[in-house]
Amino acid sequence: MNEGIGTGTAGAPDTSTTGTVTAPREPPTPEGVVEPSSRDFRSARELPVDDGWYKRAVFYEVLVRAFADSNRDGFGDLPGLTDKLDYLAWLGVDCLWLPPFYDSPLRDGGYDIRDYRKVLGEFGTVEDFVEFVDQAHARGMRVITDLVMNHTSDQHQWFQESRRDPDGPYGDFYVWSDDDTRWSEARIIFVDTESSNWTYDSVRGQFYWHRFFSHQPDLNFDNPAVCEAMIDALRFWLDLGIDGFRLDAVPYLYERDGTNGENLPETHSFLRRVRKVVDDEYPGRVLLAEANQWPADVVEYFGDAEVGGDECHMAFHFPLMPRIFMAVRRESRFPISEILAQTPEIPENAQWGIFLRNHDELTLEMVTDDERDYMYAEYAKDPRMKANIGIRRRLAPLLDNDRNQLELFTALLLSLPGSPVLYYGDEIGMGDNIWLGDRDGVRSPMQWTPDRNAGFSTCDPGRLNLPIVMDPVYGYQAVNVEAQSNSSASLLHWNRRMIEIRKQHTAFGLGDFHELGGSNSSVLAYVREFVDEEGTRDVVLCVNNMSRFPQPVELDLIAWKGWVPTELTGGVPFPPIGELPYLLTLPGHGFYWFSIHASQERS
Amino acid sequence: MTSPGGHRTEAAPALEALLPALVGWLPQQRWFAAKDRTVDAVRLVGHSEVTSADAVPAVTHAVISVGFTDDGPEETFQLLLGSRPEMPGDLDHSVIGTAAGRTVYDGLADGEITRLLLSLIVSDTTVGPLRFVPEPETEAPIVGPGRPLLGEQSNSSVIYGERAILKLFRRATPGLNPDLELHRALGREHSVEVAPLLGAIEGELPDGEGGSTPMTVAMLQDYASNSADGWSMALTSVRDLLAEGDLRPDEVGGDFAGEATRLGRTVGSVHQELARALGTARLDAAGVRGVADWMLARLELSAQAVPEVAERREAITAVLEGVTAADGLVVHRIHGDLHLGQELRTPRGWLVIDFEGEPSRSLADRVRPDSPLRDVAAMLRSFDYAAFHQLAEWEPGAESPSYLKRRAQEWADRNRSAFCDGYAEITGADPRADLAVLRAYELDKAVYEVLYETRNRPNWLAIPLRSMERLIDRS
Repeated sequence: MNEGIGTGTAGAPDTSTTGTVTAPREPPTPEGVVEPSSRDFRSARELPVDDGWYKRAVFYEVLVRAFADSNRDGFGDLPGLTDKLDYLAWLGVDCLWLPPFYDSPLRDGGYDIRDYRKVLGEFGTVEDFVEFVDQAHARGMRVITDLVMNHTSDQHQWFQESRRDPDGPYGDFYVWSDDDTRWSEARIIFVDTESSNWTYDSVRGQFYWHRFFSHQPDLNFDNPAVCEAMIDALRFWLDLGIDGFRLDAVPYLYERDGTNGENLPETHSFLRRVRKVVDDEYPGRVLLAEANQWPADVVEYFGDAEVGGDECHMAFHFPLMPRIFMAVRRESRFPISEILAQTPEIPENAQWGIFLRNHDELTLEMVTDDERDYMYAEYAKDPRMKANIGIRRRLAPLLDNDRNQLELFTALLLSLPGSPVLYYGDEIGMGDNIWLGDRDGVRSPMQWTPDRNAGFSTCDPGRLNLPIVMDPVYGYQAVNVEAQSNSSASLLHWNRRMIEIRKQHTAFGLGDFHELGGSNSSVLAYVREFVDEEGTRDVVLCVNNMSRFPQPVELDLIAWKGWVPTELTGGVPFPPIGELPYLLTLPGHGFYWFSIHASQERS
Repeated sequence: MTSPGGHRTEAAPALEALLPALVGWLPQQRWFAAKDRTVDAVRLVGHSEVTSADAVPAVTHAVISVGFTDDGPEETFQLLLGSRPEMPGDLDHSVIGTAAGRTVYDGLADGEITRLLLSLIVSDTTVGPLRFVPEPETEAPIVGPGRPLLGEQSNSSVIYGERAILKLFRRATPGLNPDLELHRALGREHSVEVAPLLGAIEGELPDGEGGSTPMTVAMLQDYASNSADGWSMALTSVRDLLAEGDLRPDEVGGDFAGEATRLGRTVGSVHQELARALGTARLDAAGVRGVADWMLARLELSAQAVPEVAERREAITAVLEGVTAADGLVVHRIHGDLHLGQELRTPRGWLVIDFEGEPSRSLADRVRPDSPLRDVAAMLRSFDYAAFHQLAEWEPGAESPSYLKRRAQEWADRNRSAFCDGYAEITGADPRADLAVLRAYELDKAVYEVLYETRNRPNWLAIPLRSMERLIDRS
């Protein structure tokens, strides 16, 4: 037990924290750069090991910079976030996902890491981070953070050493070449800004390889010392108590001649090594892969299905999200049905992460050219709404602030197979600011109150890192947590209620997914079913109307003949399922969640 | 398996007792295709036992001929009858009557009987004149009870665990059913545009003179459990458009053009597969003349019944003669009755179903090779129907505002064009390149539709009439 911190707050769940803290180990730092050890810090209290927690969890992506500012400098920070944990616990969030908060020159939103073992000055200190994790754990919430393994900032000491001294201990930490012709098969990801994956470094007199921005040199994972150094960076944070990592840009770790440099066997073998470290030394912690690929390729990142998966525990399902948007615009279930039919089975211990929006643009890499043009036309009417190959908008403005659609989309997110990842601010329907550069339009400060700076900070408004959204529809005076907390009909309360219902049924997180079809192509209906070890069946039926018009649907529920559907938000029993197709009518963009149970079991 | 009974055409006392009950029962069946005629009497043409007569349940295949009070031609249907000495309650809805102390009912409602049918197919069994045959090189479905598919029109189907569908052809017609024949041929081509064939039940149709000809009883196919038909999807798109008013078809969320293009590709692929599997021929001038004459004969039938057609006989004839514009016509086996309702959208793409051909045509007509443009024209007609059907349904009888008609026409034009694009992409032959021929086929179809709607659905008559005028005007 770490005395002195993490005393918990009133009303916090009694987490039976164990006194054991994994003994921090000496980092085998290569000579030349001295890096801090986790021993130099206290560790957060631990939550009990709970295998599979990530399969049931509701995740919440929160940007430290944008959530709450505790020291009036205009930047959100870790103590500010810690202060808001009660709100997140109230909402029902199980796990917070923090994009990078490491020391960084911030030329790519912190994904350009300058020091893996240091917190960005504006955000606070490592001690602040430990306190934050400790307080989250005190409320039963877990924390995962982004880790970028593929590359560092060009200001990282490793890179500075590498370019300065090719023969030194870091000389081989990056991918250097005398010319820029190798691996031309590898595509350029940031097509808006980069013209090559090679950039010339005048200090070393060689080209260095970078799959992303030219200020983000790729690490050389063919060098065993790089692998060791990266695993030690992971251990550093795991020792301090975090519950896992979202591994950013994971397909690109290695380069090989004649390949596109994505999803190489060497990358998978390194991930298996990382997984083994987690399983052996930090049981219950998770790895979440960010691999923006087709599901058939992404499943490789779960590893060997024979052993239940031996690489990442989770991976994002990227193509699902644009398909949800497309299905509703087309009033047809098939965009969703198609991508789910193309999604392979995943190993026993694996889980998809699904989302509607996140800090990046609404990614359109995983749709055809036709579909992309269509999505641009429908959802990005102003060219400024586009970024790279995607659309930079928040959920509410994407849906014209239509409450029915917001509810339908969220109901899909919370009921389709996978663990839902909410994006901060979407629970109150925050807007975006498309006039801000790059992807900052969806990273504006959280709107807490109708007061100055939306309650995000008490600093001089001019000091704010990013401006508060002020337009008449989405501005902080119209859309904020305080006002919505006080109205039980608000979107915020609705979201909280739906999360609560989701948690009452294990089928949402753990159940099989079975699409029911039906003759009405505008209606997407599916059953989630989980049978526990005692043989108890939890069966949830979800029926979604993709059309703005009321629709009837006849569902084939013969497998549950004689059972009774009970609607989950109100508990109203519907007529029992008989021999004939089950007829339902839905309002425009309406949806139903039912629990189906044998009638005598009605509770 | 030894045969418990060969084909019998002599009177079967037990079944004879059932015939009066059939007079009342038949008109209540959805598949009964002569609802507008009054049944006078039912005659047993032939029957064969699938099980022994005292089995529980016992199964009999029967062919019956139905006579009508109008003294018109008889119609021949087939039945799969179950019988039991005592009925479980859940089969009550399928009871037809009693015979020989047993209750006789529609066998497809009985899970034990549908299980037996599937197991006989899977085990490649012959029972008397009935041959239960699995399709070679296909994976047999797991044998279990089936359940009837509801809401079907002209045939009766049973679903096996969302894996397979057994379709019993209700009309008993001599010869190999084109649906089975073409699915077999497409299966050999490994077509992914049709639901793979898994097996069939084939039998003999007594000719009434002691002999018999082969007939198709039923066919077993993969079941596309998660599917929706193209007709209802197209209507969804039209509804979305008409609700806007100020937006054009390419601007609304429900745009169907992407699906129409994919449909065009699918139909194009099916045509290529049919041509490969069953060969093509080239009609010379005389052959093309035959096609034109056939169209003119159909025009005559329509003109006699519908004044609007009679008034335009000359103009229509001129367009139909357009089919002879080509100096020859490549023909092969085609679908023959293609429309949006014969296409199923599944999560893996479109499937074309029901290769029986136009039900009103004779078998000889239906299996005659024809230009693939007949199918294309039929699809183009179907897009027209989808566009204007919604207007007709909204306020039957009322004249729709002209801007809505304009929107509907834009929808039809956009999707017809998208369909042709997809078709051309696959076949390399743009149907619009032979415009005179395509238009002749389209007008032929419209003239037939005018007759059909006049007789059956007067509310819809305006749709083909409007198209008829447009096709004449454009030529």
